[in-house]
Amino acid sequence: MDTSSPSAFVNGALLRRYIGQKVRTVVQVIGSDMGSVVGKSTDDLQIFVKGSPPASTTTYLEVIGIAESENSIRAETWTNFGISFDALNYNELCKLANGEFKHLFI
Amino acid sequence: MAANLTAGAVAKMLNGAVSSEAEMVPILQVTDLKLIQSKLKQSRQNQDLSQERYKLSLSDGYKTQEGMLNTNMNTLVNQGTIQVGSILRLTRFVCNLIQHRRIVMVLELDIIAEKCHIIGNPAQTLTPIAQPVGNPEQQQARRSELNGVRQVNDSSAARFGVANPPQPHVPETSLSTLPYVSSTSGYGSSRQEQIRPPQAASSRPVQPSYKPQQQPQQPSMYVNRGPVARNEAPARIIPISALNPYQGRWTIKVRVTSKGELRRFNGPRGDGKVFSFDLVDADGGEIRVTCFNDVVDQFFDVIVVGNVYLISKGSLKPARKEYNHLPNDYEIHLDNASTIQQCHEDDAAIPRNQFHFRNISDIENMENNGITDLIGIVSSISPTGSIMRKNGTEAQKRALQLKDMSGRSVEVTMWGNFCNAEGQKLQNLCDSGVFPVLAVKAGRISEFNGKQVSTIGSSQLFIEPDLPEARELREWYEREGRNAPCTSISREFSGSGREEVRKVITQIKDEKLGTSEKPDWITVSGTISFMKVDNFCYTACPIMNGDRPCSKKVTNNGDGTWRCERCDRCVDECDYRYILQLQLQDHTGITWATAFQEAGEEIMGMPAKDLYYMKYEDRDEDKFEDIIRKAAFTKYIFKLKIKEETYSDEQRVKATVVKAEKVNYSSDTRFLLDAINKLRTEDANPLPINQVTSSHGSGAFNSGIGTSGTRETSSVDVPRREIRLPAANQVSQFGNEHTSGSRPLGGITYCNACGGNGHAADNCPSFMSEPQGQHTSSAYRSTPGGYAAGGMPRQHVRS
Repeated sequence: MDTSSPSAFVNGALLRRYIGQKVRTVVQVIGSDMGSVVGKSTDDLQIFVKGSPPASTTTYLEVIGIAESENSIRAETWTNFGISFDALNYNELCKLANGEFKHLFI
Repeated sequence: MAANLTAGAVAKMLNGAVSSEAEMVPILQVTDLKLIQSKLKQSRQNQDLSQERYKLSLSDGYKTQEGMLNTNMNTLVNQGTIQVGSILRLTRFVCNLIQHRRIVMVLELDIIAEKCHIIGNPAQTLTPIAQPVGNPEQQQARRSELNGVRQVNDSSAARFGVANPPQPHVPETSLSTLPYVSSTSGYGSSRQEQIRPPQAASSRPVQPSYKPQQQPQQPSMYVNRGPVARNEAPARIIPISALNPYQGRWTIKVRVTSKGELRRFNGPRGDGKVFSFDLVDADGGEIRVTCFNDVVDQFFDVIVVGNVYLISKGSLKPARKEYNHLPNDYEIHLDNASTIQQCHEDDAAIPRNQFHFRNISDIENMENNGITDLIGIVSSISPTGSIMRKNGTEAQKRALQLKDMSGRSVEVTMWGNFCNAEGQKLQNLCDSGVFPVLAVKAGRISEFNGKQVSTIGSSQLFIEPDLPEARELREWYEREGRNAPCTSISREFSGSGREEVRKVITQIKDEKLGTSEKPDWITVSGTISFMKVDNFCYTACPIMNGDRPCSKKVTNNGDGTWRCERCDRCVDECDYRYILQLQLQDHTGITWATAFQEAGEEIMGMPAKDLYYMKYEDRDEDKFEDIIRKAAFTKYIFKLKIKEETYSDEQRVKATVVKAEKVNYSSDTRFLLDAINKLRTEDANPLPINQVTSSHGSGAFNSGIGTSGTRETSSVDVPRREIRLPAANQVSQFGNEHTSGSRPLGGITYCNACGGNGHAADNCPSFMSEPQGQHTSSAYRSTPGGYAAGGMPRQHVRS
């Protein structure tokens, strides 16, 4: 497993902690454009994802990239996560991965 | 001697001047005494309720007055303490007007003399119609109330009238004015049942009284006319204990202690609805009130638990003890003429709840199905489970352990709505480390699992009630109860039933599951890591045996037919049933398990027969292997039955897959999040809740799930528990580099090692004597650098 470039699990609120670093998050796509996607994070915040999104996106989308600001990510990897996804669980995972059990995560 | 009797008392009772002991405590003589068998109509189910009552004539030396003796004094008559000639002081009584006759209900009395000659020459006087007790309209109204509305279902009052045979010494002149006599015409048939002195029948034949023309003023019994006018005068409030079926008008002042749900039923006479509520009054008397159909609409919304009401009129029926546990032989049935009036001023004299607490140790010797009140400390509570009732509906249940000062504990099972309302509240309290006081009102004792107490429809649960008993219990618990040894009178706290007990595979061995008398039922989240595919099914007998196939193995006769030894028959075509040998694996270990037909189908996704034909008839090996591969390495939630069995003198613990469900990752994740949360709250509350019994490898998982530990709360070692958790362990040992061994938990410095607050693990006093975490720490010690660098291997949990 490549651990040279870890990406932290984040939700909308946690994004600000990683500005300039690599993060991964799942958003619910609200709107997409050439070169960007507007999404809702699992904690109901708006996130702008820049880069080149796939031609078609599903409801949920995972993006991995560099956090540019507290509400935008420049994505390198885009993955469609389908139409049913448990946002609540993901949000809890983000909280755990950045809190008490941070040491368990890369 | 005549001076001893209260002269004129009878006259005052007759004209209504005296109606209870409040006005006068008269001394009267018994001039006549008769036994009456009042077989109440409703008493079919309760034979013991067909009561014996004594009717007596009471004399003040001048006149006599009819009375009824409360049943609790029957023994006095039977013993001969009260007999004809006895002189009594009526210390509690009520004069009622029944069928136009004044009847004294004697509730309590003192015996002045057991035997005395009859004093004076008393004449029996019956209430004539002309008595100044009310105008004729009122009379009629009362009659309507008595006879009209309740006539159909309340024959008891009328029978009472019949039950008073005319006295031989009644002056003949009073006969024609006696309206009550005619009431016998309505119920004439029951007359023959009555015990009466033969001379009464001979001296005064009853025949003439049937002739209607003799009582022209008498309205027919059968005419169900509404009241012409109501006596609106406020009725006197009587205690609940004085209620009896022989009263026409009464009012009780009561508090509603509980209110049942509105229930609908369909019986042979059509659909209906019913609800009931329980009352208590200032004297501590309790009674249940039941309303049917229209009356439900009238009163259901009026009744609010805790409020005080004046309730008036209604019929008293023998209590159906199988549904009604209150200490009262009667219950009230309300009808359209009944009134319920709320008292907006609270009456502090009426208790809010009437508890009759029993010690848990007493319950051990109490009868099955008895009703009891309990108060105790909730020491543990299980999650809500659901079970299928026989009628196919699902019911929720939840069990808790209640212990009290008697040094015993009992399992209390909550059903239905209690699980989510009170149950959740109790669960939260227990999770946060508080052991709440719980008062159970009207729980039913059962013998399901040792002795057990369950809630019933009219049960009430009070969490941390404001009662002296609760305070006493709390003090005891803080002082000594927490650590006092406690024996359960319930057999085992397995949560009974088959609710989900999530375990990991190594716990099967570590906890010696299946080795007790009964099998253990557990749920495991695991993956099929290996499957024996050679004999995945067997040839089974399809002959129906009752409502299911025989399913025993059949053998090939060689002529295309199959023979079943058990059925002793041959069939042309056999059935194929799964018998899958599976290896299940989770993050703690591996176990073998067998899956039979239903579970096998769930795992393979197709009937055994289809799979058999695919492999042996179509010989489609690729497709077959494809199906096997799909099933293997798939994560399922397995429900396992664990039981030790003996094979050729060898004991083996056998696991059977009862149910296999593909993991729903979303819900399983929620389950894990819950477990993590629980683990964290337990860490934050270093109270002796759980003792982890399994090895360190599964330690983190164990305590997170927590259901396993509840059996062993006796000897608890908090530091050890903490250290066994790999998660906590790393932090205290190696996490020092980045977290300084203390986790900020709500702003409090919290020690991972001993669970105490106020110091970090580095300074933890428990470290001085305790070389902690030997079993995992060495592995880490060698590689602290790699770990700190963040490239930590995931497998570290399994050292």
